Amino acid sequence: MRYQLDLTLRHAEGALARVLGATERRGFRPLSVDGEAQPDGDRWHLRITVEGDRGEQALEGQLAKLYDCLAVQVSPC
Amino acid sequence: MSAPGRPPHAGVDVHAPSAARARNGARWLVDALVAEGVDTLFGYPGGAIMPFYDALHGAPLRHVLVRHEQGAAFAANGYARASGRVGVCVATSGPGASNLVTGIADAMLDSVPLVVITGQVATTLMGTDAFQELDVFGMTMPMVKHSFLARRAEDLPRIVGEAFRIARSGRPGPVLIDLPKDVQVAAAGHLPAHARSPADAVPRPPDASLHEALALISQAQRPVVYGGGGIVLADAVADFRTFVDATQMPTVLTLKGLGALPSEHPLNLGMLGMHGSRAANTAVQECDVLVVVGARFDDRATGKLAEFAPQAHVVHMDFDASEIGKLRHADAGVRGDLRRTLAALTLPCAAHLHARHGAARRQWRAACRQRADAHAARYDAPGDAVHAPTLLRRLSALAPAAIVACDVGQHQMWVAQHWRFDDPRKHLTSGALGAMGFGLPAAIGAQLQDPRAQVICVSGDGSFLMNVQELATLRRYDLPVKIVLLDNQALGMVRQWQELFFERRYSEIDLSDNPDFVAIARAFGIEALHVERAADVDHALDALLAARGPALLHVAIDTAANVWPLVPPNHSNAQMLDADDVASLPLATPESATPPPEKPHALPA
Repeated sequence: MRYQLDLTLRHAEGALARVLGATERRGFRPLSVDGEAQPDGDRWHLRITVEGDRGEQALEGQLAKLYDCLAVQVSPC
Repeated sequence: MSAPGRPPHAGVDVHAPSAARARNGARWLVDALVAEGVDTLFGYPGGAIMPFYDALHGAPLRHVLVRHEQGAAFAANGYARASGRVGVCVATSGPGASNLVTGIADAMLDSVPLVVITGQVATTLMGTDAFQELDVFGMTMPMVKHSFLARRAEDLPRIVGEAFRIARSGRPGPVLIDLPKDVQVAAAGHLPAHARSPADAVPRPPDASLHEALALISQAQRPVVYGGGGIVLADAVADFRTFVDATQMPTVLTLKGLGALPSEHPLNLGMLGMHGSRAANTAVQECDVLVVVGARFDDRATGKLAEFAPQAHVVHMDFDASEIGKLRHADAGVRGDLRRTLAALTLPCAAHLHARHGAARRQWRAACRQRADAHAARYDAPGDAVHAPTLLRRLSALAPAAIVACDVGQHQMWVAQHWRFDDPRKHLTSGALGAMGFGLPAAIGAQLQDPRAQVICVSGDGSFLMNVQELATLRRYDLPVKIVLLDNQALGMVRQWQELFFERRYSEIDLSDNPDFVAIARAFGIEALHVERAADVDHALDALLAARGPALLHVAIDTAANVWPLVPPNHSNAQMLDADDVASLPLATPESATPPPEKPHALPA
C-alpha cells in the first residue's frame, strides 16, 4: 500500500532525520519527499509518499509522538 | 569509613562555589539542575565535559563517580525506576557518550525518565572529525524520546526545561542534551534562572470508549485482566487493585507489571508469557474477554501472536494511543489516564459481578484458582545442590520489603517467577532490552535514591562481569547493596536454548574458567561469602543480610538447571513445556520455523 504523509514539523535540528528514520524503522519505504521551511523559519511543511504493508494508523501514531512533529496525517494514495 | 552514600572525600574536598567565577553555560546548567530538584547525578568526566565538572565542584549536587559510563546510565536508570523521579547521567563526548548508549536504549524501551547530558567538541570543531567528536545526537535518535543539541548558551533555558518536562510527561523516556564545550564556557549571566516545567496534563479517557469497554466486560463469562508496566508509570497501582478486587477478575501480569497486584493475592495467576505460569497462560488462552491495562502485547508475553488469546475480545486501556491496536486488534480501546479509566470502570464493572453471568464467572474464577494451586511452584528439589528458585523464594521471605535489581538471563526469570513482589517499583529489571550488566549499577542507583532501602542485586556469572567494575562504586560510597551471584559457569539461558532448540550444540556458552568471584569482591573491599550446598543456604542468606555494608554471596548452582515452564519460540502460550515433557514435543528451531499465516485479530508486527 502507498500512503501520503502530510506533516508539520518544528524547524529544529534533527526533525527531518527523526521523521524519516521513524518512518523507515516502522516498516515504510519512502518513495518521495517534498517540503520546505515556512518563511518565518519555525516550521517545516513536508509531504512524504511511502509504501509498506503495515497499517497507516500505526505509523501515524508513532509519528505523532515525535516532539518535533506538530501535526501528521497519513492517507492512502 | 564514610557515611553510606557519601564518597570518602566528602566533607574534605568540598568548597563553596567561588563567587569570583562568572556564570557560564555550565554553571547555569548546574544551577538549573539544582532548581529542577535533582539531588544525584551519575557520571564520568572527560575532555569535552570538563567545564561542567568544574561548575559542579562545590555545587549542592551529589555526583556519583562510576567506573564506566554504562554504569552511569544504568545507575541513573535504577534511580529513576525505584523513585519515579527523573534520573540524570553525564559523560564526555566520543567514547563517553557511546558508552552510555545501552543504558539510554534500556530507558527508552522500558519507559524510564532520564536526562542524559553529554559533552561535545566545540561548535567550531563539529563536523571536522575532531578528537573525541562523535555524533551522539544522531547516533541516539532512534532510542530517545527526544534530544537537543545546544548550539548557543541562550538556548539552555528552553532546552533544559523541555528536557525534564518531556522525560517525565506521559509515557516517560530518555532525553539527551548534547552540550558543546564552547557553549559550556559561554557567558550565561544574562540568562533567566531555570523554571521547573510541570509534566503535561494527562488526557481523560473519552466517555464513548469507556462505554464500549463496559459493554464488552459486562458480557464476559471468562474475563482475564492482563496488567503491565504502564500501571506503575501511570501511578495507578492502587486503582488497579481496587478494580481487580471489585470486579473479581482473574489477573495475569507481565514482567514489568509484577507487583501491581501482590503475589499472594488470590486472583493473581502470576506472570504470563514465555516463562509464565501455567495458570496465567492457560487462563489467557481460554478467556472470552481480555482486559489489557498498561501492557503492549510484547512477543515474550504473547508467544505466537496469531494464537494468543484466540477466543478473546480485547479491551485495551493505555495512556499511549499508539499501543492500542499496534499488535492486536482492540475491540474496545480506551486511551488516556489509566487512573481515571480504572476508576470510571470499577463500579459499573463490579455491578455485573452477580448479574446474568455471575454463576459462570464464579465457576471461571474457581477453575483459574484451582489450576494455579495445582501447578504452583515446588520448592522441594532433591539433592544436595543449591536450587536457585528455592534460594530466591527463601530470600524473598527474609527480605520482603527489598528492592530487587536483576541482571538478565535465567536468574532474571527465576526472580520473576519466585520472588513475592508487592510493588512494581521494587522490581528493577531490564525488560524490553534485556541488557546484561544492568543489575549492579541499577542497584546502586536504587540504593542512592533511598539510603534506608534494603537493596538486593541478583545476578548471574555472565551478566556480573559486564559491569563488575561498579563494585568500586559500591565500595566508594559504602552502599549496603547485597549481591546474590548465581554462578552456573555458563551463559545459562543461551545454553538452555542450545539444549532445547539447537540439538545440544553448545556454542560459546562455557564459562567454567570464571574467575574467583569471592576473591574479586574482596579485592574491591567487599565482604564475600560462598555457598554450594542446599543445607547451607539459610545460614548464608542470614549472613549476607546481616552484613553491615555491601556484601556478595557467591552461589554455585548446577550448569544444567533450566527455567520452567517454557513456551518454545514461535509456539502458542498453550504449549508450555516442563522438564518432564521436553522430549515428547517436536520443537521447531527458531531458524527453521515457518511463520504461519496470521489470523485476522493479530496485526503484523
